[in-house]
Amino acid sequence: MKTNYLISNKYKIPGWILLIVGLITGAFLITSEFESDLLEVNVLAIFNGDSLFSDNEGFFKIIENSIVDEIIALCIIIGGLMVGFSKEKVEDEFIYKLRKDSLVWAIIFNYIVLIIMIVFIYEFTFFNVLVYNMFTPLLVFIIRFNFLKFKS
Amino acid sequence: MKNNIKIERARYNMTQSDLAEKIGVSRQSINAIEKGKYVPSTLLAIKIARLFQMPVEDLFMIEEND
Repeated sequence: MKTNYLISNKYKIPGWILLIVGLITGAFLITSEFESDLLEVNVLAIFNGDSLFSDNEGFFKIIENSIVDEIIALCIIIGGLMVGFSKEKVEDEFIYKLRKDSLVWAIIFNYIVLIIMIVFIYEFTFFNVLVYNMFTPLLVFIIRFNFLKFKS
Repeated sequence: MKNNIKIERARYNMTQSDLAEKIGVSRQSINAIEKGKYVPSTLLAIKIARLFQMPVEDLFMIEEND
């Protein structure tokens, strides 16, 4: 069957490794309250509006930033995309349907949870919700897809 | 939609995996089709029917609420 947008099955295992490494290091970073001075390097910011901590405000500024959180976020997202959108060993119409159904389910589930969070979580705590929400659609999709595949 | 895949499979002494391999689909697909959870595409239905050397209509039966 013609399956659009999917990458080769050989990306599945590297994807899982990236995703799991990203999630574990991410969990460590959260317990350390995002306060990491590791890998502090100069980066290019398309826009820097953080006038609280630096006076380097404006477009296209070189600023100093710990890139640990960026690397972890990229690991989770790229790993997640590789896991979720690589072909199964035997990719057929039923598996493709499972994947589509899981995607629909994940998006609806994610936004229902987000609605509840918007209503009941306030002020700076909501920042955490936004951080998690960068990853939850992809993670819920992967969990749902593998659960359905395992069940059938 | 009902189907006789399980019966035909037994007649040919095939497991779900055997059938899946012969048709070139996953074992989960055959399982879902047998249980009536998934209605296969025309292409897949014809492939299965051809393997069992029978018309598609004898393998897949439409039900009243379909």
